[in-house]
Amino acid sequence: MAERIGVYVCKCGPNIGDKIDVDAIVNEVKGIKNIVTAKNHNLLCSEDGLKFLKSEIENEKLSRIVIAACTPKMYELKFMRVCEESGINPYLMQMTNIREQCAWVTPDKSAATEKAKSFVRAAINRVSSQEPIERKEIEIQPDVLVIGGGVAGLEACLSLAAQKGRKVYLVEKSPCIGGLVVRFEEVYPTMECAPCMLAPELQEVLQKENIETFTYSEIEDVVGSFGNFTVNIRKKARYVSEKDCIGCSACFEPCPVEVPNEYDEGLSKRKAIYIPFAGALPNVPVIDKDNCKQLNGEECKACEQACPFEAIKFDDEDKIIEKKVGGIILATGSKLLGTEALSRYGYGKFDNVLTALQLERLNASNGPTGGKILLKNGKEPKSVAFIYCVGRKEKEYCSGICCMYSIKLAHLLMEKFPDIKIYNFYSDICVPKKEHQKWYNEILDKGAKFIRSNEIPSISAEGEKLIVGIDDKKVSADMIILVPAIEPNPDTEKLAKIFDISQDERGFFSEEHTLMKSFSTALEGVFVVGNCQGPKDIGDAVAQGGAAAGSILSRLVPGEKLELEAIITEINEDLCGGCNTCISLCPYSAISRDVEKKIAVVDETLCRGCGTCVSACPTGAARAKHFTKEQIFAEIKEVAKC
Amino acid sequence: MLKQSVNPDLSGNEPTIVSFLCNWCSYEGADKAGNARLSYPANIRIIRVMCSGRVDPQFVIQAFKEGASGVLILGCHPGDCHYKKGNYKALRRTYLLKKTLQQLGIEEERVRLDWVAAGEGERFAKVANEMAETIKNLGPLQLSV
Ligand code: FES
Repeated sequence: MAERIGVYVCKCGPNIGDKIDVDAIVNEVKGIKNIVTAKNHNLLCSEDGLKFLKSEIENEKLSRIVIAACTPKMYELKFMRVCEESGINPYLMQMTNIREQCAWVTPDKSAATEKAKSFVRAAINRVSSQEPIERKEIEIQPDVLVIGGGVAGLEACLSLAAQKGRKVYLVEKSPCIGGLVVRFEEVYPTMECAPCMLAPELQEVLQKENIETFTYSEIEDVVGSFGNFTVNIRKKARYVSEKDCIGCSACFEPCPVEVPNEYDEGLSKRKAIYIPFAGALPNVPVIDKDNCKQLNGEECKACEQACPFEAIKFDDEDKIIEKKVGGIILATGSKLLGTEALSRYGYGKFDNVLTALQLERLNASNGPTGGKILLKNGKEPKSVAFIYCVGRKEKEYCSGICCMYSIKLAHLLMEKFPDIKIYNFYSDICVPKKEHQKWYNEILDKGAKFIRSNEIPSISAEGEKLIVGIDDKKVSADMIILVPAIEPNPDTEKLAKIFDISQDERGFFSEEHTLMKSFSTALEGVFVVGNCQGPKDIGDAVAQGGAAAGSILSRLVPGEKLELEAIITEINEDLCGGCNTCISLCPYSAISRDVEKKIAVVDETLCRGCGTCVSACPTGAARAKHFTKEQIFAEIKEVAKC
Repeated sequence: MLKQSVNPDLSGNEPTIVSFLCNWCSYEGADKAGNARLSYPANIRIIRVMCSGRVDPQFVIQAFKEGASGVLILGCHPGDCHYKKGNYKALRRTYLLKKTLQQLGIEEERVRLDWVAAGEGERFAKVANEMAETIKNLGPLQLSV
């Protein structure tokens, strides 16, 4: 049956109507083959215009339509919907842009009219070769995996778990949840107690029936795509039964092993069986298998003997647990610049040169001193110098939060020790956001000194005192606090490989778009939130966690199917020569080789339809739906004419 | 030998410049030029593709065969491609294509690959005007039969 094509030219009031002779277009195209009607309308996007289109399609029994109007970026979707409602497949409609790309840029009316005619002829030619596309839907798994139990991950878990019919699996590498923040005493700008702020969230995550938490666990591997991933979680042997242990801590005391406690930044010792800090949740110890005597061939069962509940299990083993999830959120956090880089600031050489994180732990009531800030000799500090921007020059980025947390620490020191002297060696002060500057002002008012230096201050010792400064600006201080750049966690690279997502040149996970999609990645269904995506403060990390959760909530709805991208690439089995060219070009790893058939196959859930593979395919087997060679050639034929 | 199916109109109409614009940046850049009511010659004829990486060298050759005297390929700025690296692929392909075209006697200036971001209306108009000027100076492409 012959096609019945309708052409509609919108005047857009005077916008097109005054600049282009729309009647001339209509008259010209009327004679073209299969055009059963061509009309103009004053405003097609208006309610009246849409009704008009609908009745035209129905009355004229159109099979395809061309709309010449504004940019398709404005109302293409609206017009597609009208097609659908009127019984035409929306991909049998072609819009051509005679406003932004013609009427508005061509002052001469006859030139604009000729150009518009060529656009309309091209659209007619193209629409004739367009094909209906059925939107595909797939079954999905509404459950979600969240990796990392810091503030961003917690927020994501709770937002996701609020929707019924979904399970959330939280995987945390360390033995407890709460990330770095739960180890801080007070957080800016509210100066509230972090453990108190987080306690309800932590409890809820641990107790909510549809959240399953795997602490002391890591991701082994993942396969699949958005809507249907299969992940393997390695639950490392804890050697303490989570079921039987009640957290009475009777086992610590008898353990004969002592090692530096990494959760106190090395400022305290812990046993081989330990919880990271007082109040860590879940309140179940773990045996560190590298240091435990019993696990290293020496007879010692001190903890087992002390445990009143038979919770110690020396025969525990790592377990691999498989889970099926629809989406994945990485919230794996960050760390401070490595200690090696700090050595030229006297770190490791002088006792009282500490990192900001160490000071956080000294100040924390769940820390090594129960919240007492003391020098190595047990005395209270009378003067403290902060060195900002440690490592910024080498890193070539500003972490953006260090000034503010240093100011917070200075504020806390000044509260604790009203007579203390505070020196801040800085190169630039960065305290954005509405709540922050007041704290800078406050410590300034209270007498904190800010000393600008673009070079690394020199640090030396004079008796018990430390001398810090540059050139003539030297001060003596009891304690020096280094404020280092924030860098990605060391396992970022490994995770990037496992999830097949990229890292930016600074090593953080790459987001899909820095401004518009800061929490998603190029791999659909995999999100990156919090500091693993880049340094940020607590509020921003939480917001990102919530944003990723929101994106998943709206797209992985329990009981509903997931609509796939319609404009994707397909590979014609008969034409494919199996050269693999496309496989290496695909930015989304959406093409793989069918080993048996020796051809390339497209994963419809991963392909986004860029068409890069299509233009490289030597046999023409790869075809970009809705942007086929024939369709583009059809357009070229008309627009290339003078 | 490459043969034009439509001979250029030598009667005074400007020879056309077929312009392939990626959907995400350059097409929007062209829209912005319109919003700002900038002007450029009417022989700039736009075809929307999803990504500059979709521009097959065959498209360019076909445009010449159908009577165009210039071809413009515009994509997102390097690093900004909506599909990560399509524009880098366009860059490599265009380089090779130009070499081939030279062998066919087509001046390499007749093909221009450039970057226009979604907000860069002015840049779009500038590139379009420059390209129109280049083609005007080169004159209509006449492929030998
Ligand atoms: S999407 Fe613009 S160049 Fe790839």
